[in-house]
Amino acid sequence: MLQKATSEPGSTTVRRRWFALLLRDRFACAAALVLVLVALCAVLGPLLAGDLATRQNLRAPGRPPFGLDHGWAFVLGSDSLGRPVAARLLTAAGTTLAVAVPAVLCSLVIGSVWGMWAGYHGGWRENVSLRVADVILSFPSLLLAVVVLYVFSPSAASIVLVLAVARIPVYLRTARAEAAELRSRLFVDAARTFGTGGWATIRRHVAPSVLPTLLTVAALDFCFVMLAESSLSFLGIGIQPPDVSWGLMVAQGRQELQSAWWIAFFPGLAIVLTTVSATVLASWARMTTDPGQRWREGVRHSGWRARRSRGTSTEPAPGSAVSEPDPTTAPGGSRPLSPEQTTAADVLVVDGLSVDVHTPAGPVHVVRRVGFSVRSGETLALLGESGCGKSMTAHAVAGLLDPVAEVVGGQVRLDGEDLLGLGPRARRRLAGPGVAMVFQDALSALNPVLTVGTQLGEPFRIHEGVSRRAAKARAVELMERVGIPEARSRADAYPHQFSGGMRQRLLIATAVALRPRVLIADEPTTALDVTVQAQIMDLLGELRGEQRTALVLITHDLGLAAEHADRVAVMYAGTVVETGPVAEVFGKPHHPYTQGLLASVPAEQHRGSRLMSIPGSPPDPGAVPPGCAFRTRCPMARERCATHRPALTGTGDGRAAACHFGKELADA
Amino acid sequence: MLTLLRRRAVSSVVPLLVVVLGVFFLARLTGDPANLYLPLSATPEMRAEFAARNGLDDPLISQFGDYLGQVAHLDFGESLRTAQPAAEAVLRAFPATLQLAGWTMLLAIVGAVVIGSLAAYRPNSATDRIASFLSSTAASVPDFWIAIMGVLVFAVTLGWLPTSGTSGAAAWVLPVVTLLIRPFGVLVQVVRGAMVSALSAPYVKVARAKGASELRVVFGHALRNAAAPALTVAGDLAVGLVNGAVVVETIFGWPGIGKLMIDSVLQRDFAVLQAAVLLTALAIFALNILVDLCHALLDPRVRQRAAA
Repeated sequence: MLQKATSEPGSTTVRRRWFALLLRDRFACAAALVLVLVALCAVLGPLLAGDLATRQNLRAPGRPPFGLDHGWAFVLGSDSLGRPVAARLLTAAGTTLAVAVPAVLCSLVIGSVWGMWAGYHGGWRENVSLRVADVILSFPSLLLAVVVLYVFSPSAASIVLVLAVARIPVYLRTARAEAAELRSRLFVDAARTFGTGGWATIRRHVAPSVLPTLLTVAALDFCFVMLAESSLSFLGIGIQPPDVSWGLMVAQGRQELQSAWWIAFFPGLAIVLTTVSATVLASWARMTTDPGQRWREGVRHSGWRARRSRGTSTEPAPGSAVSEPDPTTAPGGSRPLSPEQTTAADVLVVDGLSVDVHTPAGPVHVVRRVGFSVRSGETLALLGESGCGKSMTAHAVAGLLDPVAEVVGGQVRLDGEDLLGLGPRARRRLAGPGVAMVFQDALSALNPVLTVGTQLGEPFRIHEGVSRRAAKARAVELMERVGIPEARSRADAYPHQFSGGMRQRLLIATAVALRPRVLIADEPTTALDVTVQAQIMDLLGELRGEQRTALVLITHDLGLAAEHADRVAVMYAGTVVETGPVAEVFGKPHHPYTQGLLASVPAEQHRGSRLMSIPGSPPDPGAVPPGCAFRTRCPMARERCATHRPALTGTGDGRAAACHFGKELADA
Repeated sequence: MLTLLRRRAVSSVVPLLVVVLGVFFLARLTGDPANLYLPLSATPEMRAEFAARNGLDDPLISQFGDYLGQVAHLDFGESLRTAQPAAEAVLRAFPATLQLAGWTMLLAIVGAVVIGSLAAYRPNSATDRIASFLSSTAASVPDFWIAIMGVLVFAVTLGWLPTSGTSGAAAWVLPVVTLLIRPFGVLVQVVRGAMVSALSAPYVKVARAKGASELRVVFGHALRNAAAPALTVAGDLAVGLVNGAVVVETIFGWPGIGKLMIDSVLQRDFAVLQAAVLLTALAIFALNILVDLCHALLDPRVRQRAAA
């Protein structure tokens, strides 16, 4: 959003927002202040210092700093010719910026226009441009500088020329890469189809997206150019006396290092302050233009707040929309949310589990008092649309939440032991033999640089401490068990050398390696072909029967749930809205949301009739309405639904629904 | 692997030729060596004789042709200044630069991997913010100033380290530390960025789901995946060092290739300059191949692409 906003430099609100963001970061603020100060010095320096910087005063050579009795110009001491260091610093700021700013601007403009042109058109123009950039970059740049400065005689103008030429490739490459990436995107294609000219498209569509990156590069490059100029001046081939630059001052101070350290110290400090400020500001800008990074930034603050407040209170965080009496924490203490009797056979019991995701706008309650239980050898389908919190629930149960998410309440009991109360070490011991997980995208879930044999053997290495050899032998057995042909030779292959279905088999093999008591499968077949889907589900079913594992199947696919699950828990907007045996729930739903879901599935018996869909869309997790979360889309909603959140209550044998009219639906 | 090598070689030929060509002509633009090597009162005849003796009287094009012919026979000409073979001067200076660059890069990479991984482990934690600030400071300090202040503090005031020379381990400390600061700062940032994205990859979650310890997660799973971008940047930084750390070599009197190059420009010692540039260009070519090999070693997908 912001990235787009920066592309409209005319808008004042955007500028004001940037300014507000800048003020929030004290560090970046200080950096900006330093840069403004340097710029002021550069402009006002000549007025303030006059000819003090160059006027020799042989009666006052080598005055030490921090004496005020000779006027402000001598506050930082004087050099061997009696020239005041402070006045020289001010004057030098002007010289330094007069080289750095034009050099950066020149290379920025030429390099980025050239790069966008090359990237937008591609083909030979791109190739030739990149070759040119290669050549410039592979030329020893300092040597180039020395040679050019000798040809043109050292002066500010020729330094600008050298530095600008040397830095053009940096912008060219960045702009080219971004433009080439945009070239393949739709909106640029569309502009082309409409016959918009090349330059017009670049100006209107490519430049605005590329500009923020380029400006960040330029800020970093400003440091580089400043350092290059001062190095050249230091070596005696940059700015020449009687002009002053910070690098030149350091070089002059070097001669008298032992007697007068301040002559070399202060100009160096000036360089450091300026370059470090530019770097800090550049990384701040990168952080602000990158939405992903900005989000993390916000997390830091709210995460800290949340950790501090946790434990001292269990009430909803301030700003939470929940204000009505909460049915689940009604008098009577923390009764298990699930009305089903938790029996001894229940391997996994999740009770009142709540997860918050920390965002800059405050915590978002993505999982709200979710409860369910699974017996060994049983399959429970956790069913819901994407974004309903089912994956987040699964990750919380497995202890694999991202740092931005946090469990804020509830229990996860594995054979009676609360996993959330365990320390990281105890938790790790249960990861694998206790709770295991099969992930959605098998390609990214397998480490691309390790052989599959290594990855499959890892659980044995970690939990049973077996040798590398033995682990590999066990890995091969596992691969054979999940149906991978030629397992022995394939164990040395890498994930990218397997097909999608085989990769999912490998991932399942990793998960079941230690015969887990609970196996969570998070959309295990979404990325696969239909035929492969069936094979994978069969394999999961076999393993569940063989190992007496409790299987939690997370899916949005009603068909999959109907076919493979014993029981189902339907989730909506972060809560369980209905549970029960799968055939009964699908046969006669007790919640309007389940009804709506079922009605929207094309089926044989509905042939010819209109396919229904639930009106509206699920609420944003950050803005779940008070009362019943489903009421805005519900055909049965009454006044009561807006004020009272329905609790999950029993509606029949082994069934429960979170609806004020659950009983009516059950009896209808 | 051989295909990779061949492709690299072919794509490197053009830049290499351009660099050699550029140095050859640009160097001759800087002025006539006769001005430096003959007295001010030299007669035109003396100048002509000087030019003829050093092969500087032919048209530039034929000079370049002759030069290429000589290089093909591994004859790099003689130094104008010392009348010794140019190759000898260059080969004497090069090991000093290589050793300095090698130690610097080794320490910078090891340090950056440790600090960068620590910073990436908890993004935006206090450790991360301190590491980020220090590394961005390190990446933007002027090395000549650090070198001078180092000399002032450790050599002049405290007397712990020598101010120049190459003998003894103590003499290496200041040059290596000075050279190290910027590559270290840049690499910490690259390693941190790559590790942040590697640590948020699904395979890291899978490793945690297997019960892997955090050390195993970071070093066994994430680091190898994060190595590629760091390796590329480290290669670029090493190129800069091989090209000669002129500033550091000047301050510490280090007899390296960078100082030799600058001196040869100042002295119009064309043969030495050309030989030095050619040798560093070849070294950079070798370095790039080494980086490619490391990429292939780290990532099986690169190996497969190289074989294809």
